[in-house]
Amino acid sequence: MSALAYTLTEDIPKIHETARRAFDSGKTRSIGFRKEQIAKIGYLLKDNEKRWREALHADLGRHPVETGLFDLMPTYSEIEMAYNNVEKWTKPQGIPFSLTWLPMHPKFQAEPKGVVLIVAPFNFPIFLLLKPMASAIAAGNAVVLKPSEQTPATSQLLAELLPKYMDPELYHVINGGVPETTKVLELKWDHRNGRVARIIAQAAAKHLTPVTLEVWKNPVVVDPKVDVKMAARRILWGRFSNAGQICLSPDYVLVPAHFQDTLIEAMKEVYKSFYPEGPEKSNSLSRIVSVAHATRIKGLIDETKGTIVLGGGADVSKRYIAPTVVRDVSGDDSLMGEEIFGPVLAIVPVKDVDEAIAFIRAREYPLAVYVFSQDKKFQEKVFKNTKSGAACTNDTVVSAAVPGLPVGGVGSSGYGYYGGKHSFEQFSHYRASLDNPSWVDTVVFSFRYPPYKPNYTRYMRILTSKLPPRPGKHATVSAAKRWGFWILFTLLGASSALLMKSGRFAQFKAWA
Amino acid sequence: MSLSYTPLDEIPKIHAKARQAFLSGRTKSIAFRKRQIAQVAYLVKDNEQRFKDAMMADLGRPHQETEFIDFGVTYAESRLAYDNVEKWTAERAPEFSPNWFFMKPRLKPEPKGVVLVIAPFNYPLFLLTVPLISAIAGGNAAVLKPPEQTPVFSALLAELLPRYLDPELYHVINGGVPEMTKILELPWDHIMYIGNARVARIIAEAAAKHLTPLTLELGGKNPVIVDPRVDFKMAARRILWGRVSNAGQTCLAPEYVLVPEEAQPALVSALREAYRAFFPEGPKNSASFGRIVTQAHAERIKKLVDETRGTIEFGGDVDIAEKYIGPTLVSNVRPDDPLMSEEIFGPVLLLIPVKDVDEAIAIVNSRDCPLAIYVFSDEKDFQTKVTENTQSGAVMVNETLITVGAPGLPVGGKGPGGYGYYTTKYGFDQFVHLRVSLNNPAWVDKFAFWFRFPPYTAAGAKKLRSLESPLPTRPGDAESTLSKTWILLLATILAAGSSVVAFRALERAPRS
Repeated sequence: MSALAYTLTEDIPKIHETARRAFDSGKTRSIGFRKEQIAKIGYLLKDNEKRWREALHADLGRHPVETGLFDLMPTYSEIEMAYNNVEKWTKPQGIPFSLTWLPMHPKFQAEPKGVVLIVAPFNFPIFLLLKPMASAIAAGNAVVLKPSEQTPATSQLLAELLPKYMDPELYHVINGGVPETTKVLELKWDHRNGRVARIIAQAAAKHLTPVTLEVWKNPVVVDPKVDVKMAARRILWGRFSNAGQICLSPDYVLVPAHFQDTLIEAMKEVYKSFYPEGPEKSNSLSRIVSVAHATRIKGLIDETKGTIVLGGGADVSKRYIAPTVVRDVSGDDSLMGEEIFGPVLAIVPVKDVDEAIAFIRAREYPLAVYVFSQDKKFQEKVFKNTKSGAACTNDTVVSAAVPGLPVGGVGSSGYGYYGGKHSFEQFSHYRASLDNPSWVDTVVFSFRYPPYKPNYTRYMRILTSKLPPRPGKHATVSAAKRWGFWILFTLLGASSALLMKSGRFAQFKAWA
Repeated sequence: MSLSYTPLDEIPKIHAKARQAFLSGRTKSIAFRKRQIAQVAYLVKDNEQRFKDAMMADLGRPHQETEFIDFGVTYAESRLAYDNVEKWTAERAPEFSPNWFFMKPRLKPEPKGVVLVIAPFNYPLFLLTVPLISAIAGGNAAVLKPPEQTPVFSALLAELLPRYLDPELYHVINGGVPEMTKILELPWDHIMYIGNARVARIIAEAAAKHLTPLTLELGGKNPVIVDPRVDFKMAARRILWGRVSNAGQTCLAPEYVLVPEEAQPALVSALREAYRAFFPEGPKNSASFGRIVTQAHAERIKKLVDETRGTIEFGGDVDIAEKYIGPTLVSNVRPDDPLMSEEIFGPVLLLIPVKDVDEAIAIVNSRDCPLAIYVFSDEKDFQTKVTENTQSGAVMVNETLITVGAPGLPVGGKGPGGYGYYTTKYGFDQFVHLRVSLNNPAWVDKFAFWFRFPPYTAAGAKKLRSLESPLPTRPGDAESTLSKTWILLLATILAAGSSVVAFRALERAPRS
């Protein structure tokens, strides 16, 4: 495994400058150019799939199926979506029809922000760097990627391949650790997308840079009436994939106390089916990114006051943590404090769904709330009374793979979105425009020039919006009034026609 | 009338009250939101005279300007939001995808929680009511912080708000720096700040501590680029109008005009004529001209004018005690003049003579990205050249300021001009987060998604690959085989069709 070459700190401002100058050159204005670069991201991956799989296996012990499902497939989807939609997303848009404003040609159009920084963590290097890169390019920006130093093989591969496929002046990779990242954050970016949350936000604040962020600790609420086999499979799948290193991974399960045993029995069956020869021998289990993180996770397991029912083993030198399920975990357990980011699932018994909801509400907004239930009312009750980035029923994690569903948090779980048009909009600025012919002043707008006339309201009325109906009984009265008027009008019209025809008022015909 | 500041220990209580009211869930009702939006409009409509008098007292502002801008924009936004809440908050599905649609992927805009809106002194009414309306439409609770430099207005708003709107959800906090500091210590779910870059940095740093998302609407030094062929009379009127409204205290106001050297004298004449037409008895005696908000600001502007190395063509009259700065035109200004060093935010217009439009564009690009660029020209080429070679929040042809009034046009800055938008759906979007959801039926695992569960197999990997999106054509390759196929098919049909026609024609032809 080659060591990761860090970018020299003195080169970092030069890279920033090169990207800025390349952006200012106007090269990215061409839609054709943007589409070409987006397609190239796809080939950067496709032509080298074997090397990417090997790198991710080296860094995270990943099986090719996991790399395909979580990293490659969603990125290919995003490339397809961005490529097919650049024209649509960047074309000028009008405003709702307004007779007054129409002559002034009001429009707005997406324009690039400029030079964008994307900082990714270690868990899904391709998904978290190249997927947003596709929409950043669609928006016309120059892009600098800062992959994680904790995935050296993957980050090195990216640094090698990017300049071979992509425009080398507009798109760059900066590799490094804390000193290099600090240097990167000192510079002025037009947008940043990243993870080391509060630190980045504070650095960004100095430059008034807009930021997109993500953080997590996700609950699962289980309805005792649910198909427990299906629930056990999908919950454990979400917790153990990528060895639990997924921001959307379910962290803890709230289950009615009387149902805990049933759920755990079902989980034991699933566990056996996932790892028929045991997890340590399985080629379907990833590894923790570093010895330090593995040690940290093992520490949390060792401190739990709950009961380990599955797994519990570890070999930190091999970065191996066994997929682990712990029952009877309480709210203040070691496993419920900081985020685990490992394959350890806590089962928290509660009295009922109300206690589950209260438990969730007492904590920071998570990235996702998961409900396992076939009862629509149960699902609605939980979702309506909680707040989260995602609200998924009878599955975990997969929402991130759906093209068009953005990944984004709220509150402590972050702000902004990844994915599709939402990413594109984060990386764009909507520039409003209008074009006002001279004649408009003569016809409507001359009142605006001093000296203002005493009767200016007469002229202004044409531009003033009609207010919504005043809340209270007036609202219904005006609707009734309107209907009443038309009904009366119709009746009068109909009756006079009838009367005329009947000849009753024949003498009046002479007047006509 | 003196403004009473909110006591410091009241501030956290107000925040707590708003949070509790939000958590009560009553903003979930769309009908409730619509009622509150309508009430914002009536808060203004029922008290128009008092608001006009307040602006006159605080800013010396003529009533027409208050009606046109502060009232007009408030009413337009209330109408737009009222008519569109259902549409904006509706649950929607992402673009159809055959691999995922059966999981019912959906997106729903949900409120962020308790939002803070901070407004500056120049248009304190609409800069508070418009974000308030967007926040209400999104289902949030909101706290407004009006400027302390407009005491009559801010006291009036604090008096009226609890009378018209739900007093637990929506609040006004008044105060100066100590009160602002206290406010910023609290965790808000979103902060919208309209003002200047210096204070924005302080707010952004405070927000970063809580990972609070921000919208920043800041200032800029907005340039005008004049085509010598344009109708100078029209241009002079519209440019001067943009500069003297609200005594120049408009973030969108034109600050400097780039005009070809040989056309400068003609533009000076046209501007002088407009000036005389606007203020036949002189601006100081005119009821159509406002005042500077404080003596300190008036002094600041006076100092800049005193230090200029340009030529004062008209104006230059000042009365600090009256907070009066006369509309002033300075010609022959160079880019390094003191008047170019900061945003003037007063009724002083600068003319910078240039060689040609290229030099004009270069000067604009050498400075921070402005909020708006104004192009005065009837030639499409000229307009396009300027628009495509510059960046700005907005761009207007033959007009100044009014994008703010067009219902549906998002208003927002770029770079040091800020980020995010206010007004319209884009303002609404700032105050909601998109909660994604999906509901995965159990059968999916049997037929489509089985390969995701360990142990991973070669068959599973194959199935996964079959679901991947196809890549776009590799850049540099010949036309894709797909379109080649269509062309071939079409050609075949045409050939077959014409052969049939020819054959039939031959059959019918009389045998000779």
